[in-house]
Amino acid sequence: MDRMDIENNWSDKVTEKAKISSIQLFMIFIGFLHGSSVILSPAASAKNDAWLAIIFGGLGGALLICMYVAIALLNPSKTLVQILQSRFGTFIGNAVAILYIWYFIHLASLVLRNFGEFIVTVTFPETPIVVTIGIFAALVLYAVNSGIEVMSRLGELFVPFMLFSTVIVMSLSLITTQDFTAFLPLLENGIKPVIDAAFGLMSFPYGETVVFLMVFPHLNSKGKLKGVIALSTGTYMIMSLFIFFRCIAVMGADLFYRVTFSPHLIALLIPEVNMESLIDVNLLIGGGIKISICIYAAAKALSQVFGISDYRKMTTAITVFCVVLSIWVYENILEMFDWAQKVWPFYSIPFQVFIPLILLVLSLKSRKKQLSSDS
Amino acid sequence: MAIIAAVFTILVLFDLPRFLKNKEPAKVIIIYAFFISTSLVISMLLAAGKRPPSPAEWIEWILKTIGVIK
Repeated sequence: MDRMDIENNWSDKVTEKAKISSIQLFMIFIGFLHGSSVILSPAASAKNDAWLAIIFGGLGGALLICMYVAIALLNPSKTLVQILQSRFGTFIGNAVAILYIWYFIHLASLVLRNFGEFIVTVTFPETPIVVTIGIFAALVLYAVNSGIEVMSRLGELFVPFMLFSTVIVMSLSLITTQDFTAFLPLLENGIKPVIDAAFGLMSFPYGETVVFLMVFPHLNSKGKLKGVIALSTGTYMIMSLFIFFRCIAVMGADLFYRVTFSPHLIALLIPEVNMESLIDVNLLIGGGIKISICIYAAAKALSQVFGISDYRKMTTAITVFCVVLSIWVYENILEMFDWAQKVWPFYSIPFQVFIPLILLVLSLKSRKKQLSSDS
Repeated sequence: MAIIAAVFTILVLFDLPRFLKNKEPAKVIIIYAFFISTSLVISMLLAAGKRPPSPAEWIEWILKTIGVIK
């Protein structure tokens, strides 16, 4: 089977006939990774050694992403639900798929809450959080109902703008106020905080890309999947390092660790220009991409488990539930940060590591069997 | 409470006629009703100030019980 045949086979079997290009996948993948991680700064607990955590966590995260890509390549044209059904059998496969539906809904709710808290803390302190979350969810619902193609085109349109303004423009604006030795001394508090932060970073945001197993089958060319994902993961890792060095050089290790929303504070420090609203909009773009992908994946998985012809029939109900869950899940912002740091990485392990690992082993076995029967 | 009930009524009135017009299978309506009614009940409890333990608390409790986190 040559490469052309593989690509045709990949495209023809996709249940929803939507197709996305490599550049669109690249953009939404970076948008997803950048998403809420810019708000929560997952490596901040390592203080001035966070750059080491970003590198270690990034390498571990890249391994996880390699595993997801390998699963997708071993099961061409199948979504996560179809892979689960074919590897575990219909009953167990559907049960695990329902757990994943919950995981995607929960993830969407957490990101909604992150952005709700961000907006009511820094921009609209008088507005009830449910209003900001509700309006944001309505926009996300519109995007999800428009389909994966429209979501990808939006990513293609907005993500470069977001990266340009939040990464390059902001950093250049602050070039005169930086202390380039602020990340020294190395390993002042030992290696443990670095390892803890790297572990947290692996599950958030890298491991969360398991949701893309519902999106990969829409890529119009299977041959490019590995390259696109490797490039976007590498780009995000470099971007994270760049953002870290900018933050720590401007704020210093202590403030970097203490501040709630570092990108917002950075925007406020730019002399003579008010970039606050631009930063808010850009953070909402990243969050919007992440939430839409999660709701899309949940609705699509639900429709495949229960044999519903169109995932759009479930999107309203799922989005409403996500809004309610995002309000219900935490009592306040401190609980949100504490939970995301202490509980989320452990809760995510089965979804991000164990189940995909089992799927990879079963897929490799089945591939081996197929090859030996062919020969 | 009244606002919450109104929002959910509008949502259901918007979707339900489409389901009936397209003669959707019962499972579609049941799953839809499950999500909407769960959301409505939780919203009402939150609005009434009787917040039930959240999934975050359940998950934390389970992980603590099995000794994964302290």
